[in-house]
Amino acid sequence: MAMMGGVELRAGDAPRPAASSEAPLTKIPIGPTVKYGVIGLGARGREVLKDLALLPNAPVAAICDSYPSSLRRAGDNDAPKAKRFDDYQQLLASKEVQAVVIATPTPNHREMALAALQAGKHVYCEAPLANSIEDAKAIAAAARDSIKLVFQAGLQERSHPQRHFLLPFIRAGALGETVLARAQSHRNNSWVSASSNPEHEKALNWRLHQKTSTGLMGEVGIHQIDAVSWFLRARPTAITGFGSLLRWKDGRDVADTVQGVFEYPGGIRLMYDATLCNSFDKEYEMYYGTESAVMVRDAKAWMFKEPDAALLGWEVYARKDDFYTETGIALVANATKQATIGTAATAGNTTSFTPLHYALEAFTTNVGQLDGAVKDFIDSFGDGDPKALADSLKALKPYAPAANWQDGLEATILAIKANEAVVQQQKITVEKELFNL
Amino acid sequence: MQAAAQTRYIAQPQGTSVKVDGTSTAHDWEMEGRSIGGYIEFGPKVKLDAAQTTIPGLNDGKVPATVQAHIPVTSIHAKVEHMPDVMDHLMQEHLKADQFSQIQYHLTEMTFKGPHAPGKPFAFDTTGNLSIAGVTNKVSFPVTIELLDAGKIKVNAAVPLKMTAFRVDPPAPNIGLGLMRCGDDIKVIIDWTLKERN
Repeated sequence: MAMMGGVELRAGDAPRPAASSEAPLTKIPIGPTVKYGVIGLGARGREVLKDLALLPNAPVAAICDSYPSSLRRAGDNDAPKAKRFDDYQQLLASKEVQAVVIATPTPNHREMALAALQAGKHVYCEAPLANSIEDAKAIAAAARDSIKLVFQAGLQERSHPQRHFLLPFIRAGALGETVLARAQSHRNNSWVSASSNPEHEKALNWRLHQKTSTGLMGEVGIHQIDAVSWFLRARPTAITGFGSLLRWKDGRDVADTVQGVFEYPGGIRLMYDATLCNSFDKEYEMYYGTESAVMVRDAKAWMFKEPDAALLGWEVYARKDDFYTETGIALVANATKQATIGTAATAGNTTSFTPLHYALEAFTTNVGQLDGAVKDFIDSFGDGDPKALADSLKALKPYAPAANWQDGLEATILAIKANEAVVQQQKITVEKELFNL
Repeated sequence: MQAAAQTRYIAQPQGTSVKVDGTSTAHDWEMEGRSIGGYIEFGPKVKLDAAQTTIPGLNDGKVPATVQAHIPVTSIHAKVEHMPDVMDHLMQEHLKADQFSQIQYHLTEMTFKGPHAPGKPFAFDTTGNLSIAGVTNKVSFPVTIELLDAGKIKVNAAVPLKMTAFRVDPPAPNIGLGLMRCGDDIKVIIDWTLKERN
């Protein structure tokens, strides 16, 4: 038997100290209120609205969509108090809006993100940032130069507490020498959005055409490719891609099944595949090392130690638990409060919130922090020395972990190159100069 | 005839910091900020000259001076790796930052501790009113003022305080491994750079 069982690594709703003396462990304290505008009210935009509604300090002041039915549906159901706009420029002109979420089709991101930053709004821009490296760099440069504004790329796993719980295990060498990574996203759906209006339906399905989409690698794979690069602290130097249209032959020209081999320094490779044709085993990432393997799935992770692997020490504190037919050792941050995991350990996400929720919470926190720092500086020293203000803000470490413009740019470039490899069905090199801004 | 102008020095961001050192039942802790606003204004005849042993324009050793300083409570941050937002919010809550957003100080008396050693900072004893969390106390502490170039000066002070003197309960956060109680005594270390107003 190669494996001794799963050791579960889970942050879950790890409690944090309360913001008041001697209070019980509760949750993150609530920061300043940030008023939002949400641009793009398709499926993703409505997810954003639902997650913002769960944050007590993130009221939605305005929403925007150019399609009347989408605007009405989102306004009526998800943001009844928000002002409604059919033109994003009008939303950006609203003084009430402090921060915007851009959840529109990717080709629109550049124009909207630049306009939002120009209008002085903090920006959360969904990933990928763009479909071209030129557009992604334009967004990144504007974000970099907007020193008084938070720019967060929609790589939500970067804000997920489970990932931050797991990161030290991998970075500390718990796997031994990393030898391989593997990730997949398997779905059984067409990726088609329906509308009674044919023109609108065409617009809704921008992901299905190469002219407007980076396909499965760009729109889905970006999150997992970024997660692996983040965990490995490295960028691939070459990508070999394959893509086929096997099932959904409805006029689209993007593949419904893709594979990629991402070559990282040191001979480590990520084998990635995504399909819309079969949902078996859904989404996860695997990291393999000489001592153990780690699976990351939803909001959980498991460690599978090799039989001859040395004791790490922390297993002593972990609870023994069933994992499939093995007896493994569970490690959970708040073990005393956990129900017995048993077979439920495989049931998927047990955290209360979605990755998007954590990302928006981080964005809200960091916007409040940065706005406060700008105000504090001006209260103390006035606004006559922009360089001193910029230096002061650069020294500020964001409260909450989140993907910044640089993370967003790098992930977007990788996704674009991966899609390029898929489209060309060949190996392409990823020059490090490509990431220079 | 026009009276000689008073010399006002305005707070500068570069070279300004406030550090708070504290203790607790678990470990020592530290907070830090980089914002101290305000000004120092000396009487018209007062002139700090690095080469001189005395200061002109004093009244029986007292320095005619006005000092107003303020520190935004939210500009002070815990120097911790994990959950700095939690510790900052805890501090802000204890200092009632939503009601009293600034720590404020104004000088009432400043005494020159001469003679000044040329090339060294000038030394003073000060008394003033310090307002924290809505409570104002008279505080006395020694201060040095160093002459920098380009019309700048740097004020240094280490101020011992008791939190309870300002009706601030020493925080006792529950950090998961048990209750940690902060000590009442803290030390506030000031580095305040100001520049002569043109």
